[in-house]
Amino acid sequence: MELILKNMPLFLQGLERTFVLATLTLLFSTVISAIVGVMSVTRFRILRIVALAYVEFFRGVPLIVNVLFVYFGAPLVGLSLGPFQAAIVSFTLWGSANGAEIVRGGFNSVPKHQIASAMALGLKPWEIMWFVIGPQALLPIIPPFTGLFTLLVQATSLGAIVGLTEFFRTGQIVVERVTIMTGDNPAYLIYGFVLFTYMAICSVLTSLTRWLELHIGQRRGRDVRRGPAPLLPASRTVESV
Amino acid sequence: MSDARAVVSARGLVKRYKGMCALDGVDLEIHAGEIVVIVGPSGSGKSTLIRCLNGLETIDAGSIRIDGREIPSQAREEWRLARQRIGMVFQDYSLFPHFTVLRNITLAPIRAGRLSPEEADKTARRLLERVGLGGYANAYPAELSGGQQQRVAIVRALAMAPEVMLFDEPTSALDPEMIREVLDVMRQLSSAGMTMAIVTHEMGFAREVADRIVFIDRGRIVETGAPEQFLRSPRSPRLQEFLAKIL
Ligand SMILES: Nc1ncnc2c1ncn2[C@@H]1O[C@H](COP(=O)(O)OP(=O)(O)OP(=O)(O)O)[C@@H](O)[C@H]1O
Ligand SMILES: [Mg+2]
Repeated sequence: MELILKNMPLFLQGLERTFVLATLTLLFSTVISAIVGVMSVTRFRILRIVALAYVEFFRGVPLIVNVLFVYFGAPLVGLSLGPFQAAIVSFTLWGSANGAEIVRGGFNSVPKHQIASAMALGLKPWEIMWFVIGPQALLPIIPPFTGLFTLLVQATSLGAIVGLTEFFRTGQIVVERVTIMTGDNPAYLIYGFVLFTYMAICSVLTSLTRWLELHIGQRRGRDVRRGPAPLLPASRTVESV
Repeated sequence: MSDARAVVSARGLVKRYKGMCALDGVDLEIHAGEIVVIVGPSGSGKSTLIRCLNGLETIDAGSIRIDGREIPSQAREEWRLARQRIGMVFQDYSLFPHFTVLRNITLAPIRAGRLSPEEADKTARRLLERVGLGGYANAYPAELSGGQQQRVAIVRALAMAPEVMLFDEPTSALDPEMIREVLDVMRQLSSAGMTMAIVTHEMGFAREVADRIVFIDRGRIVETGAPEQFLRSPRSPRLQEFLAKIL
């Protein structure tokens, strides 16, 4: 415990890095997932093909390979990315591919007759997407997206392999330093602390999204029956329309 | 040349699904104020026909005119605007489950710029009152029975003040005691002079409200006539067979 407190400033620095990394990754991944996901269900063939190719490609690449490839491959296309940028780019590429697939599944889970009845009302395609299909796709998307978010938070620890001093890496540094200075190896202690911290972050994330899910799903359940006053037969209340 | 008063007119409609001919040269005109009931066995092309009439299906041959103006299948925007004047009610009601009854009804007229939010709100509540659902504006579709949902679906279509209403088996998914409340609403529309095309198996209702009944079988219109003559003295053997089965 004393060991952890003594190294707190270092841990906090790493934690802050991890936090920024995770936040930006989640933000970019969400936005790109939404865009690519919508692309994959439009009626424009070319957009669908591009979206599906992107998803297939990045879902098939192990994340660790992806991180190294972006870091070392960026100069080949004339970009020089620092470890931080490389990590964000590669996590986002991977996260968006998986996220887009989730979004596509969400859209496909909305019954086709919803689109037909929205069209029958003369709504524009974007209005159908925004008002009718999108909100209905959201609910089934939330649980798998929470899973993706926690994966991405965990994935940020891979930033260490391109030399990024994020939370996991600071843990490593502390272990090495203490081992050299005192001769004792506190690995189990430090990594235990690191483990619990990641777990805490992820469970906060999970409960936040669970709350969101409940909040959105509230009155839409199939079996709720709490209509107001009992109904008069239509024949007695209908006059001319 | 088609009659200028035809609100919807179809000429030589052909619709194929992967080589299978769902509609095989259908001619149909619906005049202002007229009620046309479409009957036929399962799979005969009734739904396909009614979906073609508001451009939800593309057609492989023939033409469709709305208010005398031909709209080709590929003219998506023209069809979208035409649909704002054509109300449609489906068998499975298809209300939007994430919106309240009120929002279901007001969404389209507000988006189309037909009504301001306040006007749409007022119109929706007035129409709901008339179909006996005055207290349900803030309920969600899942909280309503099938018959109530179908009445909301009718109101949703009416809120756009359509020139013509298309119904595709509006009572087929309903329990018997709910069928009447929906038919009552349609009767009211009929006496208010609404132009309608109705696919239904309710022959009693058809006899009562229809100006013309059309019998469709295997994608072709086999017989058409006024209800009395149509039901009492059917000419074609296939219609005789069909009526014998369902009456
Ligand atoms: N999307 C589709 N793809 C392929 N075939 C279809 C499709 N929609 C309809 N069909 C076929 O076209 C024919 C006509 O179908 P349609 O739904 O118009 O019949 P219907 O008269 O409405 O029948 P029902 O009384 O069962 O509703 C049927 O043989 C059906 O199998
Ligand atoms: Mg049908």
